[in-house]
Amino acid sequence: MHSLYEIETTVKRSSRAKGLSWGLSEEAGKAVRLLEQSEFQGLESFKRLIDLGLSGLNKLLDIDQSDTSNLCPIHFGIFFLDQSHNEDIHRSHNFKNLNEPLLILPFLSKSAKNNLLYFHFHSSNLNFTISPGDIYFFDQNMFPEYISDFSLSITTQRKSIYSQSTWDYLYKLSLETFVEETEEKKISGAGAGLTDND
Amino acid sequence: MHIELRKPEIVMKLDRLGSFHQSKLSFLRSFIREFKSWDFKTKEFFLNDQGFGHIVYEVNKGQKKYSLICFSNHIENTERSDRVIATKWDASFVLFDGVPAKADIERLKANVPLQEQGRVSEKELCLSRANKSVRVFEHVVDKLSQGEQPDTKLLYDVGYLYRTTAVYGSGKFGLADRIKVQDREELKGPFRLEMMLVYLARQFTFDVVNHVAHSRSPEKAVRLSEDIARNLGIGNSTGLGMAPFIVNHPALLNQWIIAKEKALKLIRSISSVNQNDKNTFQLYLTTIQENIKFWKTESEYQKNKNRQLLKDLDSFQSFFSTTSLDKFFWNTIYKWIEANTQAECCEFIVSLMMEVYPDIVEPLSYEMSINEDEYFDIDTSRTIDEICKLIENQYTWLLNINFDNKENVFNFWYYSKNKQEPRMSDRFTEEGSDLELPLAIARDISALYNDLKSCKSDKDLGYYLLKNQEYRHILRRVLICEQLPYSEIQDNTISKTLIPVDMLRLKLSFFGATRFDPRSDRWVRITMYQGAPLMKEISKSDDTWSYKKIA
Repeated sequence: MHSLYEIETTVKRSSRAKGLSWGLSEEAGKAVRLLEQSEFQGLESFKRLIDLGLSGLNKLLDIDQSDTSNLCPIHFGIFFLDQSHNEDIHRSHNFKNLNEPLLILPFLSKSAKNNLLYFHFHSSNLNFTISPGDIYFFDQNMFPEYISDFSLSITTQRKSIYSQSTWDYLYKLSLETFVEETEEKKISGAGAGLTDND
Repeated sequence: MHIELRKPEIVMKLDRLGSFHQSKLSFLRSFIREFKSWDFKTKEFFLNDQGFGHIVYEVNKGQKKYSLICFSNHIENTERSDRVIATKWDASFVLFDGVPAKADIERLKANVPLQEQGRVSEKELCLSRANKSVRVFEHVVDKLSQGEQPDTKLLYDVGYLYRTTAVYGSGKFGLADRIKVQDREELKGPFRLEMMLVYLARQFTFDVVNHVAHSRSPEKAVRLSEDIARNLGIGNSTGLGMAPFIVNHPALLNQWIIAKEKALKLIRSISSVNQNDKNTFQLYLTTIQENIKFWKTESEYQKNKNRQLLKDLDSFQSFFSTTSLDKFFWNTIYKWIEANTQAECCEFIVSLMMEVYPDIVEPLSYEMSINEDEYFDIDTSRTIDEICKLIENQYTWLLNINFDNKENVFNFWYYSKNKQEPRMSDRFTEEGSDLELPLAIARDISALYNDLKSCKSDKDLGYYLLKNQEYRHILRRVLICEQLPYSEIQDNTISKTLIPVDMLRLKLSFFGATRFDPRSDRWVRITMYQGAPLMKEISKSDDTWSYKKIA
């Protein structure tokens, strides 16, 4: 089990290692942290995104851009986070396809809160609404009028919902932002080399 | 008279921040104030004759409980190696949330001594390790076992029996995330848990020497005098790992600094000061001048600062003694020290002034935390023109720095793959600058400013960010600084002339460290809790222990 701090920093560094700016990497780290805290498989989703190759994915940079296929969810989410204050985009938009849609949730959620907006997402296999409130609906038809024999489990324990191999891969990737130290650099970089015995 | 807060352009200079001293706002002191009404006890004591094994201390109040589990291990002298590459330590500590079960202790016994190489869980809150000061430890054990007290000159020259080399918290290595504990009333101040760990680790150091001395000579051994123990703290060696923290947490830094600045402003605004207040100040001043002689260092940089401090304190004493208690006495005092002394002395006097007014200062210690996430989002409706003006007003100090000059971009900060800690190196001779950490704030804000100036000024940040995401992290800082003006160090953190140890000193002063002993420009040895009440007498603490005379 990894702490949320470890998840956030590992995703931030992995994003950076894959070429995102530090600012975007910070956003990606916070987004995956929020998903994991909410017990969504953010880390697994992020790993699949990395496997797809971040640089090869299409960035949403203009709401009216012609090519909206193979969209990157981080840039898609950031687009709406950054642009939603602009009323010109408060309408319906159609897009061709989006990878790992789970990853857009934290960005839309923030944007909804910051700008008091509602995002209604419709596709043949996924429907949800993000509102400025804290309760989201993931396909309202999922909710029956009556339930019986149900249980409610309450725990402070967050579940680990990603595989060890996913973690190992991302952690290793995050180390690519680190600098291998020579013996010389160990001394110059940290001011070490002096024995600390007294 | 209306007294203003000192301006960020004065306070946030690194040579001033690097001259800060411990004060009533320091975290180890606010920890003792907060926890003095709690019950501290030794819960388990399993050390062998050589002092190896484990001890558990418990801190509780009603149902609330914390436990420090201390592991004491044998290491060979050859393994007690250089601080940075060490993998074994004499002692390792973990602060547990609640009371550990036997299985927890077994699990932790297998992991805590490994430190970064081990794993802990969300049940644990902080992790640390320490090494003995070998010559002091042996001397103390030897003397106690012979029925004598140790040589206090030797002891007070060093100041501690063990020194820690790292204290980890907030989610590192699997520890509990900060969100688990942030709403607990007793933890409403920064680094409370880390301060608890270090305080209990200090008690561990006394318990180990007493135990080993008694084991060596059960008939003759005496216990370490409590007066001597009280004058010992716990040491700490701190390297560059700590420096980026204050750059990476601008909102938190603002809270620390503004609490101090508010305290100073409120004290300077006192219109009528009585003789008792002046006498109290004088008492502290006299005592601490005596204690300064125990500040030992081989660092010429620190020696010069200490010499200048003593010289400035001499002239200050003359001024203070002859200044009558006219209206706004402390404001008169402050204006004199600002005009006539170096930063080291000026900040020293500011800390002393705070001692006289606990009712003013202590409540401010509850304002030193902040929810950083509230400042994370960028308001992209702001115009480019607004951001340019913000930079011109808040970052005036950097606009004239020439970043084409090699000396101004000399260093780069990076994460060491070997130690997973921040480090700093020469950009022009060392490899790795392509993996530079985003800590070159001055350079990057300058680049952002120049870029913004080339854009249409009436466009908003949303428009700008569509094609300029490389400056996103910097824009965030500019907007934080607009709301929190003490959030930014106003110096170039990559220049050749940077003295990183000043960044360490800033953070350590807020921790409450004393006896700053820089071992190079990149790491420093300090002492914590020297003079503090012992565990069994914490309830009697009146928070004046920092200014007790070291015998």
